[in-house]
Amino acid sequence: MNLLLTSAASSVAQLLASALGDTHKLRLTDLRAKATGEIIANDLDHGGDIDDLLEGIDAIINIGYQGQVGSEKALIDYHTRAMYNLLWSASESGVKRVINVSTLRLFENYEENLAVTEKWRSTPSSQDIELLAAHLTECVCKEFARDRMIQAVNLRFGWPFDSSDKADTARISTDLAVGAVNAALESQELIHWQDIHVQSKVENQRYLTNTAARLLPTLAEKL
Amino acid sequence: MKVLILGGNGMLGPWAVTAMKDRHDILLTDINDPYPEYQGEFLKLSVDDIDGVVDAAQGMDVIVNLSVLRPDRRLAFDVNTMGNYAMMVAAREHRIKRVINTGPHFQLVGQQYEDWDFDLNPDMPPAPGTRLYAHTKALGSEICRVFSERHGIQVLTLMYYNMKHTWNLGGPEASPTYHEDMVPFSTAWPDCGTAVRAAVEVPDERLSSNFEAFFVFPDLPHRKFNNEKTRRVLGWVPRYHVEALWNKQFRLPPSGLHEAF
Ligand SMILES: NC(=O)c1ccc[n+]([C@@H]2O[C@H](COP(=O)([O-])OP(=O)(O)OC[C@H]3O[C@@H](n4cnc5c(N)ncnc54)[C@H](O)[C@@H]3O)[C@@H](O)[C@H]2O)c1
Repeated sequence: MNLLLTSAASSVAQLLASALGDTHKLRLTDLRAKATGEIIANDLDHGGDIDDLLEGIDAIINIGYQGQVGSEKALIDYHTRAMYNLLWSASESGVKRVINVSTLRLFENYEENLAVTEKWRSTPSSQDIELLAAHLTECVCKEFARDRMIQAVNLRFGWPFDSSDKADTARISTDLAVGAVNAALESQELIHWQDIHVQSKVENQRYLTNTAARLLPTLAEKL
Repeated sequence: MKVLILGGNGMLGPWAVTAMKDRHDILLTDINDPYPEYQGEFLKLSVDDIDGVVDAAQGMDVIVNLSVLRPDRRLAFDVNTMGNYAMMVAAREHRIKRVINTGPHFQLVGQQYEDWDFDLNPDMPPAPGTRLYAHTKALGSEICRVFSERHGIQVLTLMYYNMKHTWNLGGPEASPTYHEDMVPFSTAWPDCGTAVRAAVEVPDERLSSNFEAFFVFPDLPHRKFNNEKTRRVLGWVPRYHVEALWNKQFRLPPSGLHEAF
């Protein structure tokens, strides 16, 4: 598949890019201030050159959490306006699917003993701007899906990546994250909007992953 | 009470000021100059200037947000989304207990609801869709909800559809159309203003949560939208019922009789 990966200079994007590059044709993009080397600079402004960025793209992998750094204003602007511009152009360019990489930290307020699934309402923070911004990007994606303009898969990953600390009961391996993105790209089981929670199978696993096992069957044995 | 109004120099601003000026101390703000007739305190302020809004909110009891920008994509996000963020940061920093937010019906009731359903009420989950105005206002409202939940700030959201002059029931559009199937709801300007006052003044105990929304319009027979909560909770009583927008031309009853029997 021809994939566009946003916030490509971020560490999450880099983790995904190195693994996805083997099986897909990747186009990397990030804001002008961060884009170097093979990363195409694009500020995702309306009337800018987003359409060029999207030419021939089948699906977008959007880093919806911790893809950007900056002031509260910059982060909210990127996670609302820039996302709107990106998805609007994507739907006009015929991009079929967007995989939004979000975070299970949106549920960290729920105690560990609770059986939290995709059916639970997230509890975004107002003070951790990265989390508020991630939540707002989810809202933007959902409305594009609601209007049937694009199919959106909202992958909420556990945290941190590749930890071996037993106290990190929501941790996720890069391997599993890459597997989830690949499976989400290929799954035929998805409706227009789908939240999917993914974390590693660990002792005292914090979040349930039954939806991932059901909708992303190639991942099931790892969950 | 000390009331900070954001974006108060538009069409609704003067009606809200008129409804409140003899009962509250108002600091009017807007990115544009005030109407020459305005007599009170004024500060030029862009609602997306976070520090500026925080400064202006110092010592206030309530913030009322009337700002809106509809057509331009960047400005719509700056005003309708970032503006709400700035307002809620200000409310949090100064422990302001109540915020009145305003917006269009479709920040909650998008096309999907409006085309299909009846008795649409303000407690439904928002489904704004992707229309720029609705979408940016809905994101702003979601920011308000998150802050309200986290910090116990009361956010009362007043949603309007169309606002009409009392003398000819016209609005910003070219010329008014009478006795036709009206857009789902319209409200006369003075009543739009008194609704803001009602939201500022409603006692805490009448609110069942910190985040409450209201559709502001008089009683209408078609029951497309539902205004029951606005009357019950806010105690808001509209003076104008915009009847010429939703009844037919006056005519004699077929029997020629004018009485009930
Ligand atoms: N007028 C209607 O028929 C109608 C219908 C439905 C909802 N509403 C809602 O009612 C509220 C008031 O609307 P209105 O009709 O008075 O709109 P308006 O366009 O007449 O006024 C909006 C005001 O916001 C100000 N503004 C724009 N950018 C700003 C910025 N960056 N900082 C500060 N102020 C800024 C403008 O200068 C203007 O004074 C809005 O929330 C709107 O969504 C209005």
